[in-house]
Amino acid sequence: MRSPQSTTPPKRIAVVTTVYRYLSHAQHIADRFLVGYPVNGKWHRPNMKIVSLYVDQKPEGDQSAERAQEFEFQVYPTIPEALRCGGGKLAVDAVLIIGEHGNYPTNEKGQILYPRYEFFRQCVEVFEKDGRAVPVYNDKHLSYSFEKARWMVDASKRLNFPMLAGSSLPVTWRLPDIDLPFNCEIQSALMVGVGGSDSMDFHALEGLQCMVERRKGGETGVKAVQMIEGDAVWKAGEEGHWSKELLTAALSRSDSPQGWTIIDGRTQDLVGNNELPKLVKNPASYFIEYRDGMRTTLLILNGAVKDFTFAARVKGMPGIQSTQFLLTPTPNVTYSACLVSKIEEMFESGRAPYPVERTLLVSGVLESILTSRIQEHERLETPHLGVQYQAPSRSQYPRA
Amino acid sequence: MNISRRQLLVGMGAAPLLARAQKRPMRPKIAAVVTVYFKYSHAQHIVDRFLEGYGWNSTHHRPAMDLVSLYVDQVGGNDLSRDRAARFPTMKIYPTIAEALTCGGSKLAVEGVVLVGEHGKYPRNEKGQTRYPRYEFFQQIVEVFRSSNRAVPLFNDKHLSWNWDYAREMCDTSRRMKFPFMAGSSLPVTWRTPSLEMPLGSRIREAMCVGYGGVDSYDFHALETIQCMVERRKGGETGVKWLQAYRGEKFWQAYQEGVWPKDLVEAALCRSHTLTPSRKGFNNDFPSFDDMRRLVKNPVAYRYEHADGLMSTMLLMNGLVEDFNFAASLEGRSEPFSTQMYLPMPPRRTSLANFFTPLVNNMETMFLTGKPTYPVERTLLTTGLTAAGVESLYRDQVRYDTPHLAVPYRPTEESTFWRT
Repeated sequence: MRSPQSTTPPKRIAVVTTVYRYLSHAQHIADRFLVGYPVNGKWHRPNMKIVSLYVDQKPEGDQSAERAQEFEFQVYPTIPEALRCGGGKLAVDAVLIIGEHGNYPTNEKGQILYPRYEFFRQCVEVFEKDGRAVPVYNDKHLSYSFEKARWMVDASKRLNFPMLAGSSLPVTWRLPDIDLPFNCEIQSALMVGVGGSDSMDFHALEGLQCMVERRKGGETGVKAVQMIEGDAVWKAGEEGHWSKELLTAALSRSDSPQGWTIIDGRTQDLVGNNELPKLVKNPASYFIEYRDGMRTTLLILNGAVKDFTFAARVKGMPGIQSTQFLLTPTPNVTYSACLVSKIEEMFESGRAPYPVERTLLVSGVLESILTSRIQEHERLETPHLGVQYQAPSRSQYPRA
Repeated sequence: MNISRRQLLVGMGAAPLLARAQKRPMRPKIAAVVTVYFKYSHAQHIVDRFLEGYGWNSTHHRPAMDLVSLYVDQVGGNDLSRDRAARFPTMKIYPTIAEALTCGGSKLAVEGVVLVGEHGKYPRNEKGQTRYPRYEFFQQIVEVFRSSNRAVPLFNDKHLSWNWDYAREMCDTSRRMKFPFMAGSSLPVTWRTPSLEMPLGSRIREAMCVGYGGVDSYDFHALETIQCMVERRKGGETGVKWLQAYRGEKFWQAYQEGVWPKDLVEAALCRSHTLTPSRKGFNNDFPSFDDMRRLVKNPVAYRYEHADGLMSTMLLMNGLVEDFNFAASLEGRSEPFSTQMYLPMPPRRTSLANFFTPLVNNMETMFLTGKPTYPVERTLLTTGLTAAGVESLYRDQVRYDTPHLAVPYRPTEESTFWRT
């Protein structure tokens, strides 16, 4: 099945990535521009062509050469050459930066120092020198450093090019299919996530942020953050620092409770049956205080569940609003097709479907959370995180 | 689903022949009659949800009823029923179906019955059908209804029977004795990705489900997937005139000749989350016809015509997908209508088979209101279609006329799939 071919010439895409091998982000994102992807019940083939690739590392299983040969594009040894396709001027219409996977050093906070900022900066230098800037998508958080992330977003404003970033969690299917009403008043919100810190917690934070940014007044930025770990997490629950009702609501959306469910298949009320402390060896709680007074919590519950769920109390709505962000199975990871359709939308229209400030804020929250962790789990004021923005009123996940 | 007391009374009023229905206690007692109870068996998924509760509408929901008695036909080394009875002393295990329904007394002592005749060691007939004793269990249940001069709502998991005559008789009996009767698969009631419903009164030209699994098992789920959508078409369901099955080489020949619409197969496949990559090194590409031939070793199709002319096709494409995807062409719509009925199947993808959650919730509503939430005729028809598919395959894939499948019915206006 082919989408009708447009008569306009295909947009030319440069891919700048850390590694390109099977099931890396680069592979499942960039491949969709090469072979198409499912969207709205169709196999969609973007009217776009990857014309150049820069790949930073070529570990075993590297696919860059075979992709280049099959799909007739060039692998260039530097980022400027990739963006100029070996010539003297910017020669592409859009750039995909995918700085995930690969062998990079880790800092004292446990952050992997992926060179997203460094890649981006080189792209910006080409834009500046050549007097033309094109849309850029940056996969996952902007940088491990808020200062660098801020620079990236400022550069896109300064040079006036569209920029999109972030996780696929905000754009995947939801079970149930709910969004918080635009301009609602959120009384409290809680996210449950799993996975390692500075990787999967980023996805959980973006899932949380894409929900709460819809509140009345829009996003105002974050005043303070704190991370606690271990038994302190359960104690904080007992003391009401996070809501057991919201946790029950979030977990009511999980398809993957562990423990007794693994043993004999039974359903469980994981909050009510007191199994959580037995299942979760090292729980973590991320507390986020916003400038408008809202507070949210992310609980990382490795060992209890294997999915990402959300719950919130909204003024004027009965009960609790809750949902699961559906991470569909490997290898298709069709949630990345949802993300690519947003990237393509920006490349095509020149407008980001949702603000990059979401990812800027989440990048900064994550960095400060990890700082709190190594500073004896202290609450940290975050005056630098006054990132204000308005969410789009239209829902951005698949509903058709 | 929240049932108000008023709805509850209205529901009871709608079933006046349920003897002494107005005296039904606010916490109905339920009996479960099952073939076998082991981890990830249907009985475990269903009965556990009554006992343990389940996630629903942002809470851990506990059904407003007590599952008090259980009959298990086969108790093997992996049995969990004894563990459950020990942990939930309010539930007793009885050695016969009659005793389960009377709770050891002489008269019917429950207000609802769940029949789960799936899994367990039962003989297969020459056509490859497993002779699950749903009809036999049903007969024993209604025998207690008769002798007690009282009948209560009954839910039958999956198709009514491997045997069409038995299925017909089960439905006729429920109508004659005037007890609410519901049955079927969880496919019609589970999440959909995306969360779409067939608009009521649609003019449907063709309908398609691409699924996986075996004949006389998952074909039924795929047929229910189609049926819960097409029954909403203009005029409602009219029954089915004939069915033809295709398998192996004949399947591929029919595919190439366009016996069923390729665009609907493609639309359905584009809703899948489990499309097998056709090329090494790619995680999600669209298969060519030759790729499909290579990946799918033993494809099966049932193509059938409804009495009003609608054509429906069910494909089982093991090796290509592991989910159930629906597509239809509708008048006045240039692109196919399509969605996936989402089955988070354990143990690989999840730990809970949560598609049983909305199924149990629909049972609860029937037990509380005395009204089925969707018509049993849907499952009567899909039971007949499943048997007709088996028959056509058994008769060397001939077109099999189905005058007996003149099962007209109207769907519920309200959607009954999981949306909240």
